[in-house]
Amino acid sequence: MKKLVIIPAFNESGNILHAVADIREHAPDFDYVIVNDCSTDATLRLCREYGLNYVNLSVNLGIGGAVQTGYLYGVQNGYDLAVQFDGDGQHDAAYLPRMADELSRSGSDMVIGSRFIEKEGFQSSGLRRIGIRYFSGLIRLLTGARVSDPTSGMRMVNRDVMTIYANSYPKDYPEPESVVAILRMGKKVTEIPVVMRERREGDSSISGLISVYYMIKVTLAILMECLRKEPTL
Amino acid sequence: MMTFKLQIVIGVALLAVFAILVNMIRKRSLELKYALVWMLMLVALFIFDCAPTLLNVVSGLIGIYAPVNMIFFLGFCFSLLIIFSLTVALSRLSNSIRTLDQMVALNEKRLQDLESQLGQRQEEDTMQEGQSEERGLSVDAEDSAADTVL
Repeated sequence: MKKLVIIPAFNESGNILHAVADIREHAPDFDYVIVNDCSTDATLRLCREYGLNYVNLSVNLGIGGAVQTGYLYGVQNGYDLAVQFDGDGQHDAAYLPRMADELSRSGSDMVIGSRFIEKEGFQSSGLRRIGIRYFSGLIRLLTGARVSDPTSGMRMVNRDVMTIYANSYPKDYPEPESVVAILRMGKKVTEIPVVMRERREGDSSISGLISVYYMIKVTLAILMECLRKEPTL
Repeated sequence: MMTFKLQIVIGVALLAVFAILVNMIRKRSLELKYALVWMLMLVALFIFDCAPTLLNVVSGLIGIYAPVNMIFFLGFCFSLLIIFSLTVALSRLSNSIRTLDQMVALNEKRLQDLESQLGQRQEEDTMQEGQSEERGLSVDAEDSAADTVL
């Protein structure tokens, strides 16, 4: 069973080494690949110097394009499962083996690490929680599936969904939209409780006016996803 | 009613723009595919400019009082059409750039991996060659030693 951790990295020079060390220590049977999304800081230099396994994008594609590169890498190199793992220190690699267990045990196509099942650890701010609950409700309304943390960036998928995502993945703010896409295709999505930390360095990309744009854009994206007759492969 | 003077001004302007457009396509600085909407617009405007009676009929048909407004309205509609077609082209382009970028990155990665594999293999090869050379040298040395004994 070949397992891949996809680490999208845009200006994560302060965090990337921690993330790799974390994976090596707590999830030793996982391979990892860093997707450097045209960082302007020392991320690429660190990857070279420390001989990390990385793929280097020459044009900045945003989180969606970067993660999709990871899925393409997984498909090309014959991985059986792939998991997204943020390089900013929010995610804890100790959950990766547990997610893999859950994936094979429940026979589901995607396992999401959810912050809101046991409500432990960093829960993000109140307004954001309301936003996440709103998306959760919207997804339930449109697909009937219960997903408590649709915005979680910690998601593990099997080979099947990996191939789907390698072919088509949303560009920006991809998480909720891509969950809806596979739910509409009849894939099974389950969740396990995880504890997330506050990001180690840097700011969240979603704040202020951008969050308004985020809410509108993601809502429309989910609705559009439901309008697509033939689920795009 | 449009004055004859305005008619000529518009006509000349349209012809000039058309000439520029054709020249640019000729020099391949403009893709014919994207220039088509522009040409269509120029032709339509030119027809109405040359035949103001036709303009009167059509504008009367959709309830525009001054036929000259019809020209402006048409121009506006065509502009929107062109902007829209550009947005479509842009979306297509950004998708192709994404795919290209990803393919370049993954191929670069494969190239690096292959290079390092090749490097290792060459190192092993040179090490083996070195060993066999040493062996050859020692045989020679034995030979010469035997010669001196003899």
